[in-house]
Amino acid sequence: MPNPDERHYNPKKLTVLFAISSVLLLGSVVWMLLDDYIRPWKDTQREFRALEIENTRIQFDAENTALEKDSEYQKLSQQLEEAQKKFKRDCPDYSNIEKKIAELKAADDLAQQQYKFTKAELDAAKYRFEEASTHQAPDLKQVTQEYEHLEQQVNELMLKAEASQQRLSDQNNRLNSCQEQVKQLERQSRQISSRRDLLMRKLSGIDPNEMNFTNRIATMVRDLPILDLANPNYKIEQIVLKDIHEDVNFMTVPKVDRCISCHLGISDPDYKNAAQPFKTHPNLDLYVGKDSPHSMEELGCTVCHGGRGRSTSFNGAAHTPADEEQKKQWQKDYNWHRFELWEEPMLPLKYVEAGCFKCHSGQSTVKGAEKLNLGVQIIETAGCYGCHLIDKYADWPKPGPNLQHIKSKLSKEWAFKWVKNPHAFRSDTWMPAFFGQTNNNDPESIQRSDQEILAMVHYLFENSTEYESRALPVKGDASRGEEVVESVGCMACHEAHPAPTEKEQLTREHLRQEFGPNLFGLGSKTSKEWIFSWLKDPKSYHKATRMPNLRLTDQEAADIAEYLYQNRVSDFEGQTVPAVDLTVLDKIVSDHLIKNQTHDQAKQKLTMMTQDEKLHFAGQKLIQHYGCYGCHNISGFESIKPIGTELTYEGSKNIHNLDFAFIHIDHTKWAFFDQKLKDPRIFDKGKVKLPDEKLKMPNYYLSQNEVDAIVTAILGFVETHTIEKNKSEDPRAQTINEGQRIVRQFNCQGCHIIEGEGGTIQESVQQWLVDYDGRAENEAQAMVNSFSPPNLIGEGQKVHAQWLFEFLHKPTTIRPWLKVRMPSYEFNGEHLNTLVKYFNALDNSEFPFVEEIDTSMTPEQFQLAEKLFSKDYFGCASCHIVGNQIPGGSPDSWAPNFALSKTRLKPGWISEWIKNPQKHLPGTKMPTYFDPANFESAGPEDLLNGDENEQIRYLRNYLMTLTDKPSSAKQEAAPPASAQEAPQK
Amino acid sequence: MEAVKHFINHITNPQILFPTLVVLYLFVFPFNDFFLKINKKLRIYKLWTNGGGLAIMLFLLLFFGFGLTDPNFRTIMTKPDNVPIVGLIFLVSFFLWFAMKQASENDARIANNQPSKEAEDSKEKVLVWPDLVYIELICLILCSILLIVWSVGLKAPLEEPANPSVSPNPSKAPWYFLGLQEMLVYFDPWLAGVVFPTVIILGMMSIPFLDNNPKGTGYYSFEQRKMAVSIFMFFWLVLWVFLIIVGTFLRGPNWNFFGPFEVWDIHKLEALTNVNLSEFIYMIGLKRSLPANILLREMWGFLVLFIYFGLMPLILAKTLLKDIYKSLGPLRYSIFTVLLLMASGLPLKMFLRWAFNLKYIVAIPEFFFNI
Repeated sequence: MPNPDERHYNPKKLTVLFAISSVLLLGSVVWMLLDDYIRPWKDTQREFRALEIENTRIQFDAENTALEKDSEYQKLSQQLEEAQKKFKRDCPDYSNIEKKIAELKAADDLAQQQYKFTKAELDAAKYRFEEASTHQAPDLKQVTQEYEHLEQQVNELMLKAEASQQRLSDQNNRLNSCQEQVKQLERQSRQISSRRDLLMRKLSGIDPNEMNFTNRIATMVRDLPILDLANPNYKIEQIVLKDIHEDVNFMTVPKVDRCISCHLGISDPDYKNAAQPFKTHPNLDLYVGKDSPHSMEELGCTVCHGGRGRSTSFNGAAHTPADEEQKKQWQKDYNWHRFELWEEPMLPLKYVEAGCFKCHSGQSTVKGAEKLNLGVQIIETAGCYGCHLIDKYADWPKPGPNLQHIKSKLSKEWAFKWVKNPHAFRSDTWMPAFFGQTNNNDPESIQRSDQEILAMVHYLFENSTEYESRALPVKGDASRGEEVVESVGCMACHEAHPAPTEKEQLTREHLRQEFGPNLFGLGSKTSKEWIFSWLKDPKSYHKATRMPNLRLTDQEAADIAEYLYQNRVSDFEGQTVPAVDLTVLDKIVSDHLIKNQTHDQAKQKLTMMTQDEKLHFAGQKLIQHYGCYGCHNISGFESIKPIGTELTYEGSKNIHNLDFAFIHIDHTKWAFFDQKLKDPRIFDKGKVKLPDEKLKMPNYYLSQNEVDAIVTAILGFVETHTIEKNKSEDPRAQTINEGQRIVRQFNCQGCHIIEGEGGTIQESVQQWLVDYDGRAENEAQAMVNSFSPPNLIGEGQKVHAQWLFEFLHKPTTIRPWLKVRMPSYEFNGEHLNTLVKYFNALDNSEFPFVEEIDTSMTPEQFQLAEKLFSKDYFGCASCHIVGNQIPGGSPDSWAPNFALSKTRLKPGWISEWIKNPQKHLPGTKMPTYFDPANFESAGPEDLLNGDENEQIRYLRNYLMTLTDKPSSAKQEAAPPASAQEAPQK
Repeated sequence: MEAVKHFINHITNPQILFPTLVVLYLFVFPFNDFFLKINKKLRIYKLWTNGGGLAIMLFLLLFFGFGLTDPNFRTIMTKPDNVPIVGLIFLVSFFLWFAMKQASENDARIANNQPSKEAEDSKEKVLVWPDLVYIELICLILCSILLIVWSVGLKAPLEEPANPSVSPNPSKAPWYFLGLQEMLVYFDPWLAGVVFPTVIILGMMSIPFLDNNPKGTGYYSFEQRKMAVSIFMFFWLVLWVFLIIVGTFLRGPNWNFFGPFEVWDIHKLEALTNVNLSEFIYMIGLKRSLPANILLREMWGFLVLFIYFGLMPLILAKTLLKDIYKSLGPLRYSIFTVLLLMASGLPLKMFLRWAFNLKYIVAIPEFFFNI
């Protein structure tokens, strides 16, 4: 028999334990719920709500005060008050009517309900009747009776309901007719105060003080834990982007940005001065705004900025501080740390333009993204693509000069000193420094470097082919040369003075100005004869050179050669060139020999080599090692691949693929690129390496702003398969982009203003006007436009495609008063076509770029037009050159030759131009004869009935008849211009 | 302090730690009378008293307390993935001690011709209400609290979207597979990943058929089944739990060994200088090149395997395992010894690797057949 009192444990103790553990469990469950409920973004939203209430209240108060001061509103209020009094006076039984209406309404509701219910029963009875009659059911009779009875009932009820409705509306009409004026005034007053009322409504939605009791309770309850599942005030806000996908490696998911859960004021202009995270986006017209091209609904936030859009915590969103100061602040405020689990963290503010390339990757520059464009242009100028394959530059010419005829241009000594330290000769050169860097400036490395350079120079001179520099046929004059250099157009791409020691902040303008090498110090570098030959025909020395032919006369070329030759860099000349050191050279040679043979074989081979052979061998290996051929044409290296890392998608590179070595910097892509560009060899620090294992990227001595720009561009080089909406696929945009590439490749903007940018040469034209034309400083500034190459705005609309093609192919003189010349570039067919298409695409003109306008005239019309053209009316020839007739006055007032009009200009453009020249070329000196403000009375009234459009048409048609010989114009005008041209109207 | 850390880093190197543990193990869990005698003499069994348990716990607490002052140690121990393994160290120690305590108490009673403690419990009844149900309920609540607090306190260690071109370094298996992953260092995948796991399962299934010792059923005892307990404990503690701990805390980037106070430097390089048995014999021993014929080249390895699996059971039957052979009979004895030898192969191979840089005993990479 078991003992019922037997126990293993004391039940009392167990109960106590049970009680304690239950309390603990309750505590932990509450903790769990709170942990789930309390989210930092809710605090942020609460903060914003307070700010919103404050803001709305301020606006409301302002609006209210304004209304109180508004006399119209005051008047209306008064009228309303009076009308209400009148209403009470006129309708004394007003309250009775209202009471009656209420009673009638109740009766009506009941009648309606009765009618509806009975009708429902009728419908059911109808079904039963149909069913029974079809199957001849035994209870057919009964069913029929029921159906008929109900039908009758429904009809009665319908009449009753209608009558009740009528009574109700009668009473309502009575009331309304009495109240009409009040209602009308109320409507008017509401219209005036609509903004205030709107603000009030908003306020009563968000401000508990403005709510009634029930709503206040409801607002509180809807945010309570668990109950907040339905429709809370504070909830995660998100933008789902269906068209943009996030690549999570094994699949893609639609991008979801929850940034606006905290950045609540981002699209609201009212929060311009609020603190983060509520601040308005600084550029709502371009981004975020509803009507902007990058609206928030379409593109979200992280597409441009990077970061983890789905996160709702500060660190999880992969925020990146803009600078050290912000980093410290964030660490303090948000316990910020780098979020390592997201490959694409937010771009720091200074590199934010890199995000543009995610969609605009087809374009090489992006309007408005100045830093990005500067970066791209530095990459092009510095020739990064020479060593680093970048897809979009695959077909670009080598950035450095041709070294295949180096023997005829340079001396070995100069070449040695140059390679050793190019910046000693020319501090603004884009030739980077390979030697004297942080990983090869110890005495032993310097000794080795010297011998390496000697070997490379030896190889280059050994492999150089002959180029016959022409002797100067006439004696040059340096001062004349200086004038030619300043006037003929050299300064669009070159500078010819020692580079300033203190570097200015680099801009794209500078890059255009320094497109070609600085011409200072040529005397220390080459011979007069070489300069002369080069100027006369650059292509004969280097077939692929971008230096154009300026069609200089022998005298001009000789003058320039004389002028440039007299500049020397004496410091550079004073440097010494070391002799060949055989022990070091042997080491270099054998280091390369043992790569594919044994030490013994190498030793044997070395003893058999002469010094020249050693230099040649080492030179060849070293040119390959340093990748000189990436930028220069060198014989023997025509088909060897460049040595650098491919940069086409460098921005998408995984951080694990970057070797930070022993350098303690942030492990971010931008920190790596920044460090690499500032000191390309730094990652060798602390490493033990053989000479040919060392890093070899050369140093461009870039300033911080240049580095920032390049890093921005590189970060932008991303793979963008996740974004399907790629606008650059538009053929017009593509044509423009291709044209822009040629424009940049040949520095067209050095002379011309294209797409509103460029015209770098104007500075030197102005200088020329002061120095050689005897103008005062301000005068020169005023007339510089007239003496500079033309602004090419609207060029596609303006000139015939055929003419443009031919002109680019073989330039002719249009503006004889200009000293600056359009050079001959000897473009190939592809270039020419692309440029013609580009200018036409800019002006939205489509293939085949032809305008069909009849410009034929009858002899009477011709006479009339001639009159308009003459001095009595418009006096066109007083500025414009006509054939060989030069107008009077000074050259700064001259205008292009009319004889070219027929072949050059599109008639449609001429009309538009005469109508309003300022619209097409703001600032032009062409007078506005037909004032667009009062066009109808602008022209002379005595010709063509004062019809301005006709006058312009006559003038235009007249221009089309002018040729080199103005006297023959009459005969040419007689026959219709061309049979195929369609009549104008 | 640094010197202590340095010393600990040094001795946790498996070449030192593993043999030390094996030797210590023989004395703590003696499998025959010889070691038992030493155990008694050194009073190691005192570990299984309350005082001993306190000492074990104190030692662990002190070690972790000291360790957590070091940033590297802290980073690794407090990683949400690794916290359960820290718990495992304490739990395994505690239950090991608890079981051994009861066993050693029973051993003492049996030596005094008393019945075991469990025998004193009434055999027919369990007090269910309220005793059992009540404490089960309380345990349930306590476990719930633990799970809730743990899940709120330590966030789930989710990582970035998996990227096929970037594998995590080190790439670690789930903690319960770390023992298998550690075996991969010493054996080819077909052995470590396929044969061994299968044999482990089959071996465990065969335990009831191989162990015919009637003593020690229904009560804790060590001395009555010292062979069985110590063999099982060796595989459980040394070859499973220990390898999990090694895999979790001491294996860093590139699967290199790092002491508990060492920085996990991804650039750390270790020289790989392992050689195969055939190379030992032909190149180092006989000073000649490897024969082209695979069989000729690997015959020494096969010979070793033949001796190990073919002759060893016979020799053992006559010597060390004479008694067992007698009690099990030839068939069960052969299964038992083959299983035992296979299991011992792992520590042996580990030892050979560390001591002689031995890579493979039989190496036929031509057929992916390496042992």
